[in-house]
Amino acid sequence: MATIRTRPPGSSRGGRPHAPRSAGSWIATTLSGVALLLLLTIHMVANHFVVASVGGLRSYHQVLEYIANPAIFTIEAIFLLFVTVHAMLGLRGVALDLDPSPRAQRWIDVGLITLGLTTIGYGAFLIGTLASRA
Amino acid sequence: MSDTVPGADRRAERGPVLRKGVGIPASGWFDPRGRALGGFAFSANRVTGLGLVFYLYLHLGVLSLLLRGERSWDDFIRLATSWAFLSLDVVLILGILYHGLNGIRVALVGSGLVADRQRALWWSLGVFGTIALVAAALHIYGSR
Repeated sequence: MATIRTRPPGSSRGGRPHAPRSAGSWIATTLSGVALLLLLTIHMVANHFVVASVGGLRSYHQVLEYIANPAIFTIEAIFLLFVTVHAMLGLRGVALDLDPSPRAQRWIDVGLITLGLTTIGYGAFLIGTLASRA
Repeated sequence: MSDTVPGADRRAERGPVLRKGVGIPASGWFDPRGRALGGFAFSANRVTGLGLVFYLYLHLGVLSLLLRGERSWDDFIRLATSWAFLSLDVVLILGILYHGLNGIRVALVGSGLVADRQRALWWSLGVFGTIALVAAALHIYGSR
């Protein structure tokens, strides 16, 4: 008689409890994605159509003047925040598909939070420095 | 009781990839073989997503040239307006459009708003995305 072993639903290869992607994570990814669609549209139109005569922002001084505009600076800062959050949630989803152990999962979360905060910090430094040079 | 493994006949048939176990295999999402439209759309969404994350850091790196002054930026702009570089911009727009439009589809289907229309959504958003991509490509090459 053949015996077939199957993993019970909700468990993973090593017998460890499987941690499916939570509903909260899905909602956060979706909401940040929706916000990104709006912000990305503004970002692209402002960058590539506002200065239509030259095909978009090109020269060094054009870029500095653009980013120094308070409205643009705010939009770009919010865009940076949402794109980073969405990217980190996406990377987390891919990583969790590899079925990591709970310990590895904690390290993944810590690593992605660190990477996300570093990205936001560097991006804020970048646009802040450029705006101050205008 | 039978001595044969249940489903052995079906496993011998050529067709979609069959495997043991529960759920999607670990790291199996990037294997497009034997996938239905939904599976292909999911895989492509992941691939474009990873590509866009790579581009995010590339973009930050390129913008960092601005910190080094006008000359560094102008040198980069000369490179960025070449045909080869502009073609990469078109590939970028393709990735953004696919990921964004498929994201809309996933959000609408996953939230239950149009749970039974995912195939129609995929194709209609695909047509819209193709038109937008052509318009973007014309703009990109035309701005040279």
